[in-house]
Amino acid sequence: MAIDTRETVSLETSGISPGDVSLRAARIRRVPGWLRPNLLWALAGFLIGYIVGYWAGDFIAGAYPVAANSGTNNVAVVLALTFGVIGWLAGIGVLNYPLQKILGLDPTPAVPDASFARYFRLTEDHKVVGLQYTVGSLLFLFTGGLFAMMIRTELLSPTTHVFGPGTYIEIVSEHGTIMMMMASSIVVGTLGNWLVPLMIGARRVAYPRIEAASFWIFMAGYVVILSAPFLGGFPTGWTGYAPLQTQASAGMDSYLVGFAVIGIGMICAGFNLAVTIINYRAPGMTWGRVPIFVWSILATCALLTLATPTLVVAGLFGVLDRTAQTGFFVTEHGGSNFLWQNLFWFFGHPEVYIMALPGFGIVMEMLPVFTRKPLFAYRIAAAGMIGVALLSFFVWQHHIFQSGINPDMRPLFMLTTELISIPTGFLFLVTLGTLWKAKIWFEAPMLFVLGMLFNFLIGGITGVFLSDVPVNVTVHGSFFVMAHFHYTIMGGLIFAFFGGLYYWLPKMTGVMLNRKLSIAHFWTMFIFFNLTFFPLFFVGILGQPRRVFEYAHNLQTLNDISSIGAFLLGASFLIFLFNFVWSVCIDRTPAPPNPWHSLGLEWQTPTPVPWYNFEHTPVVLADPYHYGEVDAPPVADLGERGGATSSTSSPTPDDKDRGVDIRPHSM
Amino acid sequence: MPWGYGDVVNKTGRAALAGALALIAAGIVMFAFINLMSQPGTVTFAASNGQVNVTLQTVGSYGSGDHPTWVSYEIQTQGGTWQHTTIWQVPARTQVNVTILQYDSGSPLRNEQLGQVTGTVGDVATLNGATFSVNNSNVGNGVGHTFSIPAIGVSVPLAGVNGNDTLCGAAPCEPSSPHNVIKFSFMSPGPGNYPWQCFVPCGLGWLYGNGGPMGTVGYMGGFMKVV
Repeated sequence: MAIDTRETVSLETSGISPGDVSLRAARIRRVPGWLRPNLLWALAGFLIGYIVGYWAGDFIAGAYPVAANSGTNNVAVVLALTFGVIGWLAGIGVLNYPLQKILGLDPTPAVPDASFARYFRLTEDHKVVGLQYTVGSLLFLFTGGLFAMMIRTELLSPTTHVFGPGTYIEIVSEHGTIMMMMASSIVVGTLGNWLVPLMIGARRVAYPRIEAASFWIFMAGYVVILSAPFLGGFPTGWTGYAPLQTQASAGMDSYLVGFAVIGIGMICAGFNLAVTIINYRAPGMTWGRVPIFVWSILATCALLTLATPTLVVAGLFGVLDRTAQTGFFVTEHGGSNFLWQNLFWFFGHPEVYIMALPGFGIVMEMLPVFTRKPLFAYRIAAAGMIGVALLSFFVWQHHIFQSGINPDMRPLFMLTTELISIPTGFLFLVTLGTLWKAKIWFEAPMLFVLGMLFNFLIGGITGVFLSDVPVNVTVHGSFFVMAHFHYTIMGGLIFAFFGGLYYWLPKMTGVMLNRKLSIAHFWTMFIFFNLTFFPLFFVGILGQPRRVFEYAHNLQTLNDISSIGAFLLGASFLIFLFNFVWSVCIDRTPAPPNPWHSLGLEWQTPTPVPWYNFEHTPVVLADPYHYGEVDAPPVADLGERGGATSSTSSPTPDDKDRGVDIRPHSM
Repeated sequence: MPWGYGDVVNKTGRAALAGALALIAAGIVMFAFINLMSQPGTVTFAASNGQVNVTLQTVGSYGSGDHPTWVSYEIQTQGGTWQHTTIWQVPARTQVNVTILQYDSGSPLRNEQLGQVTGTVGDVATLNGATFSVNNSNVGNGVGHTFSIPAIGVSVPLAGVNGNDTLCGAAPCEPSSPHNVIKFSFMSPGPGNYPWQCFVPCGLGWLYGNGGPMGTVGYMGGFMKVV
């Protein structure tokens, strides 16, 4: 039985009376808003910390021969970035609570804040954090996307160059790092933080301060990663291989510190949501009723919590090699650069599923809504996610088939890699089973679901090719690999993410995005995504290596097709951006309470959702997938005022207007 | 409005604010793009009597700019001024006569293969007027750098000066500072961009000597543009 969260969260039983909160809140509000911790103070804190850290590093190591000769004081840069991050966190207020506790002071209670400024502050409302993450992930996505535009601009010609070779690899590295570590990895933060408590009937998350801190840690990591170009960039791509890492410019310090910072943010985000899902489910929310999206987040959080510490430690080792002259990754000093590859990919391959699993969760959550059918083989889907999460820890060495792995170990890791396609196949078959004989409601979220399935099929099949040693040896380091993982991550997760945004933004923001623009966004994104990346399979097979700014003349046509596709793909994102800004910030056409007629518990709350989500902790009565069933049980009892939610077996006028088929489904 | 700002800013104001933010974002993007595009300039050499004369110098520490401690090449324009770049342009299928004023000290090579002169006319070069085809870096002052264009097989070792002398510490170096003069010729290939590079790990303070200036255009590597 899940834990009843009422006693743990209500103000009445928390030892703080509502009157106390009001008085304290009034005192807090008397302080002018700009003086309270906020984004501006975080920026100021970063700047002050950076200066102090650099000064300290210069004082400590400025005269070291290695610093004097190279003109680069890595100690100063690392301390500057580290102190900068601490200053950032202090400025946003992350340190207030622990410092107050250490000093024996009463911590400032969290109070509901309805001002727009709350989006620029530390907040304990998981919904505000979710929206912060949403804007943050879009910021990361567009930043990484701009770097992608630069890459494709450079690759328009094999001989006429826009950037220098060093600048080009810096751009590739920034693109890869931001996209892999930030834009794609924090879907957990975006939709997970916003939706999971509502979906499981919880009135809050388990560790709201850690949750809030995780976002601002991510933002500090973003600032650190973006500092790299100002420090000479890093020439390693997102994988940061030693010994190139060890001899790179100071921009590499940004990479290593940034990775560690982002890793800490990922651990915080994952740990909080995992505990929330396990311990904060409403009464009746048994494991068999947990929404499939929540299963995907739970599996992802397990990976975040267990795999990411390896990355943080690896980053620390790299920093020590570059500053304290340790030799973790330096062969001449008794270390091994191969160690970095193992540590990196021990995190890196689970990271791939950190990106893929939420995508499948989003897709499987939306499919029943737009097919008006129960989710096919729910338990298989949940088992598939757990299976993928478990197996993902046993495949990392396929990334280093070409890097000195014991050849006798190759077949083992080839086998484990192929094994993971089985639970992944479960997930795909569940989606196809749900689509089987369905009358599909072709709204923008559903279009993105179908696009994701098409793209992921191509990415998945080419992934099976790549797991085979002979093929891997042949196309390793080529554009074939690059096209493969773009099909799985961008074609999979990012398509699902946009589908999820179109689906849940009406709930999250209270407004509907423009339907025509949404559909235009899908078609342009789908067509131009494939125009961009499909030719790159051929480019890779024909031998074009990744991360190199020159290529054979006979590959220019394919590269130009890809570049033109990329520019148009970028334009499709601008359609989304315009739609998002116009609909959410300017026009604000109110959304119906449940525009998709979903049975999900999150849709049964009022909009905007109150601070504590549910007036009374709901009692869950059924899973939310009884679409099309005449005698479908209500999903939950929301308490005295809310009553039990009903199924959607009775058509609504709105349904008829939309032409939605909500009749019981016959197979 | 429950979301916090709708009641203080009207629709027109929100649109104007969004437009202003979009303009600022576009400005930041353009600024970043233009800055990333910046590269060292290109020095163009015109042929005279079917030949091109190119003069370079090496300096142990550049002495100014972003990386004053870095070792670097410099190029002399046809007007006689020194320019801090490693990108130069020559006509196709023309004899390129290169003169390198080597102001840096040397050391024994890790790979003696780089002591050979290859790809030049006659596979030879001159060191202070004396013709040579191999530089034994274990004797004398060793080799400071190489001038190598891998795509056309050109590689010439540049003998170092005596490290105990008072060496030039800031570019451009004056002829009064200790230096060696290395001369050689090669035929430029067909049109294209040809990377050239020093292959002696000379990045002092960097692990293996391959970081910093060794990987940066404008210091110990660059491009020969052939048109």
